[in-house]
Amino acid sequence: MKAWLTQHTQALNLVLRRFKTNKLSTLLICLAIGVTLALMSTLYVVLDSVNGLANRVKSESQMSVFLALEHDADAVATIKTALESNADIKTFKFVAKQEALSQLQAADANNDVLNSLENNPLPDAFFVQPSRLDADSIESLSNNLSQLDGVDEVVLDGAWIKRLNYLLALGNKAMLIMASLLAFALVAVIGNTVRMQIVTQHTEIELSRLIGATKSFIRRPFLYVGALYGLIGGLLALLITFAVIYLFNQSLAPLAAEYQTNFSLNFPNLFTCAITCLLALAVGLISAHLAVTKYLLTSSQ
Amino acid sequence: MINFDQVTKRYPSSHEALSNVSFSIEQGEMVYVTGHSGAGKSTLLKLMTAIERPTTGTVLINNQNVSKLKEATLPYIRRKFGLVFQDHKLLYDRNCYHNVALALAINGITGTEAGKRIRAALDKVGLLGKEKSMPITLSGGEQQRLAIARAVASRPSILIADEPTGNLDKNYAADILTLFNAFQQVGVTVIIATHDALGNVNERNKILHLDHGKLVAAEVSA
Repeated sequence: MKAWLTQHTQALNLVLRRFKTNKLSTLLICLAIGVTLALMSTLYVVLDSVNGLANRVKSESQMSVFLALEHDADAVATIKTALESNADIKTFKFVAKQEALSQLQAADANNDVLNSLENNPLPDAFFVQPSRLDADSIESLSNNLSQLDGVDEVVLDGAWIKRLNYLLALGNKAMLIMASLLAFALVAVIGNTVRMQIVTQHTEIELSRLIGATKSFIRRPFLYVGALYGLIGGLLALLITFAVIYLFNQSLAPLAAEYQTNFSLNFPNLFTCAITCLLALAVGLISAHLAVTKYLLTSSQ
Repeated sequence: MINFDQVTKRYPSSHEALSNVSFSIEQGEMVYVTGHSGAGKSTLLKLMTAIERPTTGTVLINNQNVSKLKEATLPYIRRKFGLVFQDHKLLYDRNCYHNVALALAINGITGTEAGKRIRAALDKVGLLGKEKSMPITLSGGEQQRLAIARAVASRPSILIADEPTGNLDKNYAADILTLFNAFQQVGVTVIIATHDALGNVNERNKILHLDHGKLVAAEVSA
């Protein structure tokens, strides 16, 4: 166990010594990895923030269930019971037609048209807040409600919720595709860097194999190289992401104020930071492992 | 210790580097493998050190059949040998101390024990005090001695040298051969491949003479 730990410590020290010797090139490679990862993490943060905003907007949206102008006396109570027992409904509110007219008149007291009406043209209505906000659930709920006795029309904000959902799904898919492509790019960048290091240390590797080094002994320092590139790149990516969000939020604040909202991009939380670093480390390790394994398979002995 | 039985080595180009070679080497022997360039000396050493496997025949190292060993166990076989190469194969980006340390690290020897062994090995070859020198600053003879220090630091039971004096002038070459003799005196089996005329052969040294891949003479010097 001690020998195993010592061999790991030696490999790590060797790699750190080489990083120190080649400070500039190491920094440039880490920056390239950091910028690539920052693109991913910034995109994730933007989508996450927009998702949050969209959910907030959607949760404030409601469905209007208008009753027929002439309906049975007990229709309101029947519909109320049906709404109470429907699990897809979060809350609902009944507004009687007289109350609706009063609200309208109160909102615009000088409206002559309203004041001159002989009969109340407004229907009784229920205002429903759905518990599930995806397009399919909303459509299904709307269909169910429109089939209730006494219901004349169900008006929902489904169209724009649908569009918003499609846009968010598109954004999420775009992020996944981008993330996959960038991950490939990262594997290529780190793998190629490790491959170049293998080429420059070819003599040492061949000598080590001749005098009894196992494949894991040869592989070890390169795995540390890949892991460290990934980890440092991940940390740089977080720094870049924090800086980008800070600058973006500064410009966003006055615009959000114009819309009377406090929308801003969320900074990555501790979990997101940890996941970013771990993913970067894993990508680095995998890239290095692929590069060394390919070399060991193709080289002699 | 090392047994070759009817060993033939044929390369994919169908060139037969060794043909039906049989001999044995015992613990503590000093063996010279001689022959002109292309006679098969290097192939013989590669087979001994499990760098190559025979096409036919059997190579036994400490009664282990190299042909039947799994690839993963070959590094452990190679650790039994101390290898010295004609071109030294030194690492020019690190000092003498770290050049020797590499062989010990591969054998899992690190820390204080490694430090002791490195100094002892450098002392044996007359390079103590040059631990921090870079190999490029050493003379050809010193570089070869450093390579020998690396080979003996892990205290192998067999020391194998492929043309160790090939690039050295006569004085340096004599120094190196004296050094090999000293190791043999303390019980190390020393096997040297050379195409040079043998001027430093002592009594009871074994000579294996190869010609076009065939062992034409296996004799003990008088």
